[in-house]
Amino acid sequence: MELLHFLLDNLKEYAILMLDPAGYVKTWTPAAQRLKGYKPEEIIGKHFSVFYAKEDVESGKCERELEAAARDGRFEDEGWRLRKDGTRFWANVVLTALRDSKGDLRGFGKVTRDLSDRRQVEERLRQQSRDVMEMATVPVVQVWEGILLVPLIGMLDSARTQQLMERLLERLTETSSPVALLDITGVPAIDTQTAQHLIETIKAVRYIGAEVVLTGVRPAIAQTLVHLGVDLSSATTRASLAAGLRVALGLLNLHVAAANASGQAAV
Amino acid sequence: MSEPISVVKVRNVLLVSMPADPDDSTVAALQDRTLEAMSKYDARALVLDLSKVEILDSYFARMVSETAQMVSLMGGDTIIAGMQPALAVTATELGVTLGRTRTAMTVERALEVAGQPRGSAAKLL
Repeated sequence: MELLHFLLDNLKEYAILMLDPAGYVKTWTPAAQRLKGYKPEEIIGKHFSVFYAKEDVESGKCERELEAAARDGRFEDEGWRLRKDGTRFWANVVLTALRDSKGDLRGFGKVTRDLSDRRQVEERLRQQSRDVMEMATVPVVQVWEGILLVPLIGMLDSARTQQLMERLLERLTETSSPVALLDITGVPAIDTQTAQHLIETIKAVRYIGAEVVLTGVRPAIAQTLVHLGVDLSSATTRASLAAGLRVALGLLNLHVAAANASGQAAV
Repeated sequence: MSEPISVVKVRNVLLVSMPADPDDSTVAALQDRTLEAMSKYDARALVLDLSKVEILDSYFARMVSETAQMVSLMGGDTIIAGMQPALAVTATELGVTLGRTRTAMTVERALEVAGQPRGSAAKLL
């Protein structure tokens, strides 16, 4: 029994305590104090709802958990819990119904585990994979002050073009760039719908006061566009990215000059 | 009652700013007040500042493009300034066409554009 107490007191991430049948705290361990911040005299006799956020208490979550544990013998939950100082931590909670030999409910065992670290790592991983996915779907890079480049590779479906429009508009506004180079060299084929999406993107960019130069219009793409009857005459289009970049620089009233005699490049 | 439209004359340009969430009567007032001021000040260009606007409906969109056409008939250029990305997406969904209307990212830039004759070498920075 002493060994068991020793174990309970020294578990680092687990707070193990007992509740009476109505949910009032009966025992408290040093580990629980470390995790939640209450001293034994502050918490013993208090209702366990103090560990829950106000909206959880109001929605009756505590009662539901006790009922479920009493009914099924065990209840497990993962969610936000509060420390004494009001800060939140992400917890795994297991409630176990404790019954005597006659089957009467004597209380509940409660094991709370702090999973904040794990959750932070998971959250960071999720964010990273979102960023990578977004970058891979619609890469937007600044190639010059005032010029953004979007090198599109692979087929363009509706979801992707929608993302393209939103991201491009956002980045243009963020960087106050008046020109976007939309390069479709890496797009294998274009159908009417894709062309329509591109036209909409070009229009939307114009609404916010910027211009799109569509580059990488290969012979095959040019043929398809004309045969499909897609009218891109309102947009500036070029065959190569290099030609498009020249147009973009021109729109910004910049020109590239060869290095002069003193060996300094002038732009 | 939403915030009213602000109409300011800057040199020979009319600067009209729309509030964040204009109601129908505010939108209706846009056309009347703009055209009235165009004629009163004999302005050569209209800069329509939409930078604060958060919501665009078809009525507002139609009012903007109609007003631009009317301003054009009165011999003025229209430059729409500061449209936010979300609004631009809505505008394409509503099928708004710009026609001869020009756009600029900021009011400051729009005022510069307004000073240049149409078709002159574009300078965007």
